[in-house]
Amino acid sequence: MSANLSNRIFRPYTGEKARIARAYDYLVLVLALFLFIGSFHLHFALTVGDWDFWVDWKDRQWWPAVTPLMGITFPAAVQAVLWTNFRLPLGATLCVACLSIGTWIARIFAYHMWNYFPINMVLPSTLLPSALVLDAVLMMSNSLTVTAIFGGSAFALLFYPSNWPIFGMFHVPVEAGNSQMTVADMFGFQYIRTGMPEYLRIIERGTLRTYGQVAAPLSAFFSALLSTLMYALWWFIGKWFATTRYLKRI
Amino acid sequence: MKSTTQNQTYTRSMAFHVPVNSQPQSVSKWLLLIGLILSVYMLTLQPVMAHGEKNLEPYVRMRTIQWYDVQWSKQKFNVNEEVTVTGKFHVAEDWPISVPKPDAAFLNISTPGPVLIRTERYLNGKPFMNSVALLPGGDYDFKVVLKGRLPGHYHIHPFFNLRDAGQVMGPGAWLDITGNEADFSNNVQTINGEMIDMETYGLSNGIFWHSFWALLGTAWLLWWVRRPLFIARYRMLQAGLENELITPLDRNIGKAILIGVPVLVLVFYTITVNKYPKAIPLQTSLDQILPLPAKVNAGVVEVETLRAEYRIPERSMKLSLKIKNGSDKPIQIGEFATGSVRFLNKVVPEPDQSNTESVVAAEGLSLDNLTPIQPGEQRTVLLTAGDALWESERLDGLINDADSRIGGLLFFFDPDGERYISSITSAVIPKFN
Ligand SMILES: [Cu+2]
Repeated sequence: MSANLSNRIFRPYTGEKARIARAYDYLVLVLALFLFIGSFHLHFALTVGDWDFWVDWKDRQWWPAVTPLMGITFPAAVQAVLWTNFRLPLGATLCVACLSIGTWIARIFAYHMWNYFPINMVLPSTLLPSALVLDAVLMMSNSLTVTAIFGGSAFALLFYPSNWPIFGMFHVPVEAGNSQMTVADMFGFQYIRTGMPEYLRIIERGTLRTYGQVAAPLSAFFSALLSTLMYALWWFIGKWFATTRYLKRI
Repeated sequence: MKSTTQNQTYTRSMAFHVPVNSQPQSVSKWLLLIGLILSVYMLTLQPVMAHGEKNLEPYVRMRTIQWYDVQWSKQKFNVNEEVTVTGKFHVAEDWPISVPKPDAAFLNISTPGPVLIRTERYLNGKPFMNSVALLPGGDYDFKVVLKGRLPGHYHIHPFFNLRDAGQVMGPGAWLDITGNEADFSNNVQTINGEMIDMETYGLSNGIFWHSFWALLGTAWLLWWVRRPLFIARYRMLQAGLENELITPLDRNIGKAILIGVPVLVLVFYTITVNKYPKAIPLQTSLDQILPLPAKVNAGVVEVETLRAEYRIPERSMKLSLKIKNGSDKPIQIGEFATGSVRFLNKVVPEPDQSNTESVVAAEGLSLDNLTPIQPGEQRTVLLTAGDALWESERLDGLINDADSRIGGLLFFFDPDGERYISSITSAVIPKFN
């Protein structure tokens, strides 16, 4: 069919055809919106989980490592579909925007209204700056390899600094119970979570612990490396999902 | 899809069919996925706030944290008013082999969400903010100061989260928080001396940054969505018109994003770092608090458990105990407590040490010999703790556990009201008739 078309002069749709094509655009967009709000947010909640829910879990080691790594999955898959078929460089931004919407809904309704946590204790993190850059890299490079390496790394490296304006102020020290704590730790102590004892937080464990002050950048670079691989993996998952081959056999 | 769209009349239904080949999937596949995801999603959103007093296996409830004297300073109070829960617990010597040792334990309060906030917490008089390692055989007392936040009627327990083991509940009490939710305030002083309102701290700042990036993100999305999208772009791409899909203006905007977004991120980051130069990493440490001098098994009254039989039809535990009274006054057994059930001996008036509704069998304890054990006397006593509570509290499941040992606390009283506590432990032998 493509050979057929390209041999002739390309005629864009006009009138009724264009109108229907546009309606189809909106239908797909709305479906995609709901799909990504639900699925990406669920995926995120199940993988990043508590490290993204609670202000006192957003540490400088695990959080900056795992959040971009899990956050790049859907963007890579959706980019694979939207870029290869339509040259639309908005997959990452679309996914992350949906994730933000889903996360905010969950924080307001599930955490704040049903379970009474103050919203500032469960503020979501943002991946939007990372996603914008990822989309731009794909558009400029038109290359899976370049986007995986440079886009994937930028996605991970930008995460921690772009969230510090939101969460930095929760790291101001407080003196409580003869010890030094952050404001974030105070949230964890004061606002009772029955299933969430303090010892569950993985903070400063393992070899990264010895790097002290550079723990966060180190985590970010580690995450950048893995995000590169994760990007490529999910790009192929996206391509696989976008084929009709398997459906036709059913 | 075999039709070339060229020579055919274009109908609405076909409009929806044309891109199937190119387009990710038929609508039904997507709808199925959405339905699936939403249903899983709704399940995970359900707040998990169950009490779980009886969830753990009986031997875990009987032989880990043995609570007693749990007391609330008041049971009816206002929003913003402080209330204190105090109590004691013994950590069983006979800690079950299948339960990890209590190297990280967190003294918690079971609430349906933060209807109260915890402002202070003490173990053996020492403040502690994190988790603590408990020693089997150790005695501890605790105090937790709470502040009413949301009006309501709640059943609340102190309990321990034990790492890799679960939640061991203490006795519960009904609390009534009265007053107005809006009166609640929670101010904390930072090390700089600044007072911050925990209910709103950082909220508007967070919303600002989310809105800022959301604005840029939305602009980028709208920049593309305003043009014809899927069908049109797919056809153009297939026609080899790729260059028209990304215009020079698009590429310039892309360059601006590639440079501008990282620069903005770094600028905002630097501003924040300079604004909060004293920011520290999240704190975590295991508090080191040693047990009190022995309260249970303090050496005055010595108890050895010779045999424990559980009679299923009678729902009663028969304990054969060798007791030596090392005090200088006669003593009587007033209570046997296990797994949050208290069996009381009605002939021994016990000063009430607790205002929680621990599960009580008021006449559940009987002895083969009621005469007090004299100073210096050693006697073998047959104690029967019988009540349907064995069943309703699901403690009788013990006999079906892999580790069917019982543990509990025995309370002795002398005529002056002095109390001696001993822990007992024994394998349990079931009797089926
Ligand atoms: Cu209860």
